[in-house]
Amino acid sequence: MAAVGDEAAAMDSISREPAAQPAALHPAAGGAAPAERPDPAAESPAAAPKKTGTNSDGGVETAEEAVEPAESDINELCSEMFDKMALFLQGELTATCEDYRLLENMNKLTSLKYMEMKDISVNISCNLQDLNNKYASLQPYLDQINKIEEQVSSLEQAAYKLDAYSKKLEARFKKLEKR
Amino acid sequence: MASADSQSRFGQSVKGLLSDKVGSCSGDVIALTRQVLKGSRSQELLGQAARNMVLQEDAILHSEDSLRKMSIITTHLQYQQEAIQKNVEHSKNLQDQLSHLLK
Repeated sequence: MAAVGDEAAAMDSISREPAAQPAALHPAAGGAAPAERPDPAAESPAAAPKKTGTNSDGGVETAEEAVEPAESDINELCSEMFDKMALFLQGELTATCEDYRLLENMNKLTSLKYMEMKDISVNISCNLQDLNNKYASLQPYLDQINKIEEQVSSLEQAAYKLDAYSKKLEARFKKLEKR
Repeated sequence: MASADSQSRFGQSVKGLLSDKVGSCSGDVIALTRQVLKGSRSQELLGQAARNMVLQEDAILHSEDSLRKMSIITTHLQYQQEAIQKNVEHSKNLQDQLSHLLK
């Protein structure tokens, strides 16, 4: 509660001198630097937490910025905060990276599958070309088979004619025998 | 608005103001990151690409099966062609015999 009262007084003193702000900034910067430097000195919480003061120099009142001494572990907390922030951002971006990796793996597997299929297709193409060449070399034999088939048909016709003639002969022989 | 903010922050300490500011900046960075990732639509596009590839997988497997069957059929055709080659060599003698018969 006392600290709040002191802070209010400090804020009041600052708000009362708006024209002295440029002059106040330099002593404030000078006051902040000594406030940041003695970090080990700030370990004593019993020491005055704020530095406020008014200097009157030639009728112009100045005021120093109200600061609190930095805690000893503030640096660690800051670095921890930044580390965790970086970890979070990395995690957010890793999700997209993992999606890309998944697609990359799927594409690689598909390309392997297509390469196998390509090998099979090339093999089939070579075999079919050989088969076509062999069937082309078989063509004279197939023509011979066609001729054989025609000759067999004509042989069959000749056999039928011979059979019919022999039956006629048998009938005439029997007729002559009856006489 | 600025005056209302300054009035609401009037009673707080510098430490509290600083921590609030740090927290708001952190939240802004997080929101910005999420907005950038959301605006790039990378999640949707990559998910859609993965889904389409999964849909194509069935067709790819079917094509592979068909090619393997074609390979087996080609092998059978080769065996048949070899058998035909063996048997066709007898046709020469057969033709000579037939031409002799039909003389």
